[in-house]
Amino acid sequence: MSDDAETSHAALGDRIAGAVLALLALGAWWHAQSFVTGFMQPVGPGVFPQLVSVPLGLLAVYLIARPGLNQRWPDAAALCRQLGVLLLLGTYAAFLEPCGFIPSTLVATVVLMRLFGAHWRQALPYGLLLGLALYALFEFALGIPLPDMPGLKV
Amino acid sequence: MDIFDFLVHGFAVALQPQHLLLALIGCTIGTLIGALPGLGPVNGVALLIPLAFNFGLAPTAALILLVSVYYGCMYGGRISSIVLNIPGDEPAMMTTLDGFPMARAGRGGEALGLSAVASFVGATVATIGLTLFAPLLVTVAIRFGPAEYFALFVLAFATIGGVTTGSFTKSFIAASLGLLLGTVGIDPVSGVARYTFGWYELYDGIDYIVALVGLFAVSECLLFLERDRDKADAAMRIGSAVPGMRRSLDCAPTIGRGSVIGFISGVLPGAGASLGSFLSYVLEKRWWGAKGKFGEGDPRGVAAPEAGNNAAAGGALIPMLSLGIPGSGTTAILLALLLSMNITPGPLLFEQQPDMVWGLVAALFIGNVMLLVLNIPLVGFFAKVLQAPSWFLMPMVTLVAFVGIYSLNNSAFDLYMMLAFGVLGYGLRKLEIPTVPVVLGLLLGGQMEFNLRRAMSISGGDWSILVNSGISIGIYLFAGTLLLAGLMYALLLKRRLG
Repeated sequence: MSDDAETSHAALGDRIAGAVLALLALGAWWHAQSFVTGFMQPVGPGVFPQLVSVPLGLLAVYLIARPGLNQRWPDAAALCRQLGVLLLLGTYAAFLEPCGFIPSTLVATVVLMRLFGAHWRQALPYGLLLGLALYALFEFALGIPLPDMPGLKV
Repeated sequence: MDIFDFLVHGFAVALQPQHLLLALIGCTIGTLIGALPGLGPVNGVALLIPLAFNFGLAPTAALILLVSVYYGCMYGGRISSIVLNIPGDEPAMMTTLDGFPMARAGRGGEALGLSAVASFVGATVATIGLTLFAPLLVTVAIRFGPAEYFALFVLAFATIGGVTTGSFTKSFIAASLGLLLGTVGIDPVSGVARYTFGWYELYDGIDYIVALVGLFAVSECLLFLERDRDKADAAMRIGSAVPGMRRSLDCAPTIGRGSVIGFISGVLPGAGASLGSFLSYVLEKRWWGAKGKFGEGDPRGVAAPEAGNNAAAGGALIPMLSLGIPGSGTTAILLALLLSMNITPGPLLFEQQPDMVWGLVAALFIGNVMLLVLNIPLVGFFAKVLQAPSWFLMPMVTLVAFVGIYSLNNSAFDLYMMLAFGVLGYGLRKLEIPTVPVVLGLLLGGQMEFNLRRAMSISGGDWSILVNSGISIGIYLFAGTLLLAGLMYALLLKRRLG
C-alpha cells in the first residue's frame, strides 16, 4: 500500500467524524431551543448547550475541510476480535442478573481469555480461577452482594 | 495556624494505620499498573476507582489510596521503558531514549536505581511546592465570584491544546463534545430534562466514573486486541540497583534542574507530565551538548526526565486541589472521584476539610518514601510481572473494572453505557482526537454552566459582568497568552517536521 492511499484513507476518517459531529452539534442546537426557560432566569437551560454546540459545529466543519492524521484502522481479524469482545461483554451484562454472577462470569472469563489469544488449555483453568477470584473479591473481601443464581437462596 | 501546624496535623491523619496500609497498597498497585505497557496512570486510576468505591472507603482514605496509585504509576512507568523499551505511559517515553540502551549494556539495575532516586527527588520537590503554593493560591481563589470562576473554566479549556499532543482543532472538538455530553440530564436550575429522550436512566446525567472507565479502560482493551500479542522479550539481566543510587549523587544537579522544570510544567494548566519530562530531557541534553552521550545510555538522560515527570505529577495536583481545575488527565480522574463523593475541590475545601487536604499532602510525602523503599528490593519482581502473559492480564483488568462498575449501582444500564463510551473512546483515539478533554468537559461543564448562570442572575442578564473585575480580565489575558503560545508552538513544531 502506498503512502498516498493511507493518507487519503486517514482523511476520510476525519471527514466522516467531522460530518457526524457537525450533525450532532446542529441537532443539539436545534433541540436546545425546545428547553423552556423558567421565570426570572436570565440564562435558561438551553443557552449553555447552544453556546457549546456553536464551536463544536464550526470546528467539525473545519475538520471536514482540513482533515488531519488518523491512526491505522484495524484489519479484519482484529476487528472481529474487537467485535467479539464487545458482543461478549454486552451479552455478559445482559445475563448477569437473570443467570446469576457465577455462571455468567465463568463463561465470560473463559471466552474473554480465548479472545485475547489463550489456548483452551490455558483459558479453561485460568478463566475458572479468575471468575472465582472475582467472586471472592467482591462478595467476601469487599462485601458487595452480587446477583445469585436463580433458585438458589442463601 | 500556619502551614507547618497544618502539616503536622496532616501527618497525624496520614499515619493512621488504615491510611498507611492503603498508601502501601496504592503504591504497590500503582507501580505495577504504571509498569504494564499501555496501562498508564490515567487508565490505571480509572480502573481502580470502582474498586475504591466498593471498599466503602471514607473520602480521605479513598483519596489517599488513589493518589498513592497515581504517584506509584509515575514511578512504575519507567520500569517497562528501561527493561522493555515500551513506555508504560506517555510521560515515560523520554526515559526509553537512554534507559533502554543502558539496560542493553547490562546496566539495567543501575538505570532503575538511579531513576528511582530521581523520581523520589522530583516527587518530593513537587510535594514541598504543593505544600507551599497551594495555600497561597487558595488565598487568592477565595475571593473569586461566579464570574471569576467562569473565567477560570474558560482558561482551563483555552489551554487544553497543551494537555494533549494532538492537533488544536481536535482538542477543542473533544472539549466541546465533553461539555455537550455534560449537559445531558435534568437541569439542576430549571428542572428541565435535557437530551434524555425519555430514558429515565439519563436523568441524573452521565455518570463520570462509567464514562471514564469506558473511555480509557474499555478502549484500551479494544486497542490491545489489534496490537502485537506477544512482545515479551527474553529475560534480561537486570543487575543490582545499588550502583545506580550512588550514581545519583553525580547526577544531583541534573535531578535538581529536572525537578524544578517538571514542577513548573505540572502547575501550568494544560501542560502536565509529558511536557515536564520532555522539557527536562531536552534542556539537559542542550546543557551538556557534545560532552554527554544522550541517546546512547547516558545516566543523566534517565535522571532528567524521571525527575521531571514525577515533579510534574505533583505540581498538577495544585490547580486540582486549590481551584478544582485539573492540570492533567490523571488529576481529572481524581477530580471525578471527588465530585462523585460530593466533595468539590477548591478554596473552600481547604477551609472546610483541612483534615483531608493536609492528610493527603502528608500521605504524598509518606508515599514517596514508601515508593523509594519498595522500588529498590522489588525492581526484579516488577520486571518479572511485566512478562506475565497478556491473555491473563488483560481479561483480569477488564473484568475487575466491569464488575466494579456494575456494583456501583447494580445496574446493567451502566455497563451498556460503559461499553458505548468504550467504543466512543476507541473511535476518538483512532481519529487522534484526544479523550482527556472529553472527560474534562464532562466533569467541568456542570460547574462552568452553573457559575455562568449565577453570574448572569446577579447581573440581571447583563453579559458585561463576565469582564467586570480585574481578576477575570487578568485570567482572560492569561488564557489568551497561553492559547497564543500554544498555537505558536504547534506551528513551529509543524514547520520543523514538515
